[in-house]
Amino acid sequence: MSLAQIPPLPPECLEVLNHVWDYLDGQLNDETTERLRAHIAECRQCFEYKTFQENFCDAVHSLAERPGASPGLRARVLDSLRHEGFAG
Amino acid sequence: MTPPPADHPSSQSPDAAFEREALPWLDDVYRFALSLTRDASDADDVVQETFLRAYRSWHTYTPGSDCRRWLFTICRNVFLRSLERERPTVDLEDAERDVVGAGRVYVTMLQEGYGDLLSQVDVLPAIERAVHELPEPFRSAMILVDIEDQPYEAAAEILGVPIGTIRSRLFRGRRLVQERLLAHAQDAGLARRNPKENE
Repeated sequence: MSLAQIPPLPPECLEVLNHVWDYLDGQLNDETTERLRAHIAECRQCFEYKTFQENFCDAVHSLAERPGASPGLRARVLDSLRHEGFAG
Repeated sequence: MTPPPADHPSSQSPDAAFEREALPWLDDVYRFALSLTRDASDADDVVQETFLRAYRSWHTYTPGSDCRRWLFTICRNVFLRSLERERPTVDLEDAERDVVGAGRVYVTMLQEGYGDLLSQVDVLPAIERAVHELPEPFRSAMILVDIEDQPYEAAAEILGVPIGTIRSRLFRGRRLVQERLLAHAQDAGLARRNPKENE
């Protein structure tokens, strides 16, 4: 896959590019978080990039709503536990 | 996803405690096992073995601690043993390259008119497919952190790796999924909006 090159960026935008996932995941210290937050609030490109990555992570997280174990598996697990002496 | 009650009376019998604290996580463990195995039948086997081992080791569980994390750890170990393979390793220095790589994917999406790709109705199945096609160990990291909402520290404990490795694997997984989303948009000829408007 051929990807576009990223044009030269000001240092503040470069910091957002390099740390957007750390920022969204809450992995940065308070000072850095506040610096990025302030820049993102005033830079349209960085705000849109942060929003894109945020939407991406939200979309991936929505996969958690997938169906869980089937009734058959639940019964099978309970059967095997009772075979071990489980009294529940 | 509703967590089970946190209170854990010490007077409770072990079986009652197991039923109260461990069994409510069956759906979560199944989803995690399915993500690892990518096969419903294999996932059923892994889940059954996970709960058996958990029951046999229940005396080692600390009452009131994070039971889901404890079960995920067992599940991951059962899965690894079922494969009889060693954990792959990842170059820790690659994380920054992956972050910048994701930036290039984003710029390409904008230039090709796919800037609103994530708002399109059919993108979720593509994301799910991309996540499930990820090679290990990136898939496990994304599933634990991005889908199951585990913090980095918990994912590191479950997978038995340092936190920095979780970060590297997560970032690689996210970049690869975004690359596959772009490829999906290009292949499917999804509606493009104002190509190059954001250049």
